[in-house]
Amino acid sequence: MDIKQEYLSAAYPESAKKAAGGNVRAVFANPLAQIALVGVVLALVQFLALGGMISSAFAYALGNTLIYAIVAIGFCLLLGYSGLASLGTAGFIGLGSYVAFYLIEGMGAPYYVALFVTLAVSIALGVIVGFISLRIEGIYLAIMTLALAEIIRSLLMVLKATIKININNIVLFGVNVNEKAVYLLITATFIILMALTSNLIRSPVGRAMLAMKDSTSAAQAMGISLMKYRLLAFVISTIYAAMGGLLYMMYVRNMTTATSTLLTLSTSLNILGAVIIGGAKSLWGTTFGTFIIYGLQSMFLSKIRFFVENPAFITMITGLLIIVVVMFFPGGFAQMLSSLRLWLRRKRVERRIRDYVGNES
Amino acid sequence: MSATRAERRLLEKARRLRIEIGMLEAARELQIEKAAAKKAARSAERARAAGRELAEKSFEKLGADEIRRAITEKRLREENERYAALRKEILLSGYLLSDKDNEALADAHTARLERIRENTAAELSELSNPAQGQLPIPTVDEPEETSSAEAIRARFDEQISQARKRLREVERRLESGAASTERTELEEGLVLSVKELKMYFGGVKAVDGLSFDVREGEIFGLIGPNGAGKTTVFNCITQFYKPTGGKLLFRGRENEVLDLTKEKVHDVILHGIVRTFQNVEVVPELTVLENLLIAGHRQYSSGIAASALHLPKLRREEEIIRRKAEKVLQFMGLTAFSGAYAFGLPYGILKKIEIARTLMCSPRLIILDEPAAGLNDAETAELASLIRRIRDEYRCTILLVEHDMGLVMDVCDRICAISFGKLLAFGTPEEIQTDPNVQQAYLGVEEDDDGTA
Repeated sequence: MDIKQEYLSAAYPESAKKAAGGNVRAVFANPLAQIALVGVVLALVQFLALGGMISSAFAYALGNTLIYAIVAIGFCLLLGYSGLASLGTAGFIGLGSYVAFYLIEGMGAPYYVALFVTLAVSIALGVIVGFISLRIEGIYLAIMTLALAEIIRSLLMVLKATIKININNIVLFGVNVNEKAVYLLITATFIILMALTSNLIRSPVGRAMLAMKDSTSAAQAMGISLMKYRLLAFVISTIYAAMGGLLYMMYVRNMTTATSTLLTLSTSLNILGAVIIGGAKSLWGTTFGTFIIYGLQSMFLSKIRFFVENPAFITMITGLLIIVVVMFFPGGFAQMLSSLRLWLRRKRVERRIRDYVGNES
Repeated sequence: MSATRAERRLLEKARRLRIEIGMLEAARELQIEKAAAKKAARSAERARAAGRELAEKSFEKLGADEIRRAITEKRLREENERYAALRKEILLSGYLLSDKDNEALADAHTARLERIRENTAAELSELSNPAQGQLPIPTVDEPEETSSAEAIRARFDEQISQARKRLREVERRLESGAASTERTELEEGLVLSVKELKMYFGGVKAVDGLSFDVREGEIFGLIGPNGAGKTTVFNCITQFYKPTGGKLLFRGRENEVLDLTKEKVHDVILHGIVRTFQNVEVVPELTVLENLLIAGHRQYSSGIAASALHLPKLRREEEIIRRKAEKVLQFMGLTAFSGAYAFGLPYGILKKIEIARTLMCSPRLIILDEPAAGLNDAETAELASLIRRIRDEYRCTILLVEHDMGLVMDVCDRICAISFGKLLAFGTPEEIQTDPNVQQAYLGVEEDDDGTA
């Protein structure tokens, strides 16, 4: 370099310039931008399906999976962040969908009323379970929530031997919505809840929950009220589950307590499985886990003849996947990914050290 | 005796208002500081541009020595920055650096610096410039700027004075109700008074009628053989256990006397009582800085909605508390670890993080539970000076339980020795060392020499 120029930049150094505008990488490092991008892609799937470029069965299956993903995000906050185990997810979902159904079909209430009542009921349920969680912990809490879910299921069955949900037309804001419009509603709900949850975990609330999970005594010593955050975790998870239930009812439009598997233990276990193989501390991991558990079969494997003829193999594959993941990566796919990233980073560091030392000797 | 519910509600309200006022004041200072920094940066930029222009025009008049100095410095600085960036990346990525590599790296750095000096000297040996020569300092016209500090102050002061007014109202109502409740007294100069403390677990008397006073600003040691009940006493003070009997009086921030047994375990920190744990309790999946933010949890006045929506209020508070955490990290010499995840950090660092967390809440009483456990001699010596530094810098009282007699005798002003939940001896380190009861408890009954060990 010209000595004059070098002197000028040495004696009068320009202050560190800010990265030039339009730095794409920086924008997509923002979690909210990532969520928005995924939302656009998800909405696009429906429009492509409408245009006939994607099979509508695929889009329908995707919507169904997203409903479970909504439930799973709430569960992620509960298990991954607050360290509270629950096997009552099915009950939480079921209560939401059936309460809403009663109000809408049985009493002719408008949808927004149904929404608020459903939310109120699920908050009450969350508070009850939260209070119980202050007394019981770990596996005992899981068993207790399982029992609670069974009680809810039996209660719904007793109230009416078979509740038959059968909705033909849904009218929202004066517009008749079909399944495809409900798909967009599901996507919007998923994106909004994802953004709120993502904000929450990157705030004092999320940190308080993590502190509480790792050590209740250290958390308390730092001024974190166990009651406040345990109740909050359960309330959030029941609200998300109830939202999932409500959307499920609007999307599927046809189910009975007698035949629907939605209310059984298998739903709770599937959500638990999804959160664990995805990574209980990662929202994207959890979403991915839900796709493995619910989406793999309905969206991809259902096209392969072998699996259509032998559906038992699908369950075997998912089971095997869970075993492998839990054995090698207890933090799920999210941990797998972050370990890989860390490994690459360390390789890069190793190379940089070699370069630094090597160029000298 | 106990505060009524209405009074408790008022106290809670007053506390919230005080936090809000504190936050607003901190936000005001921060904004003023930022505005000043921006202004300074603008004026520095103008000076730089003017200087550069002048130097460009009359480069030939400039002294060769000055050119050599500036260029060499710049090249060395760039090399140092490269080296520091690599070191930081090694630390943050958790790369295990062998001693050999560590040495090779340091050697390579020294060699590189040396080569830069030689090369630059060779390259710049033949400059046509005169040996000496200075450029005049250019004059820069500073444009008139309206004082933004005043505007910021005005904006915040309005909010602050409103919050103050509300606080005064609450305080007035508290005062008028105060006559009905009996006030507990604590002797002047004391920060904590443990009176006839009893803690029974079923038939086991872990602490049995223990009394001691802690003076404001002292380093107070609590010692005793294993199972003497030291940690139980700590757990009683911090309300992890509700004592079976006795009184725990504490002087709060506003010079009020509190009966700690009436406080909830997670509210104790509000009065400035913080503790560490025997086995470090750091959140491994958060960074070191975030671990400190947890300790600042009760200083946020924004609630759940603000958190879920990341409202400006939360972002402002987050920035203020982050700055506070950075200052604490600097005080503790942990700045390099700020962005590193706590998982996998060396034990000595984790212990330091735990102590750093106690400094986040303007502590009045720091309770250290065996801070030297697991540390080597050098680290223990460092800890001793750190404890003193914390007491002097943060003007707080420190209460410590420790097995390492060297540390206790070194740093403590006064010591309380207990055994089987009862007081054994009380006094200065010298008094404790020569106390026959203590020697008997520690060394057994056959102890009979003069005991100066």
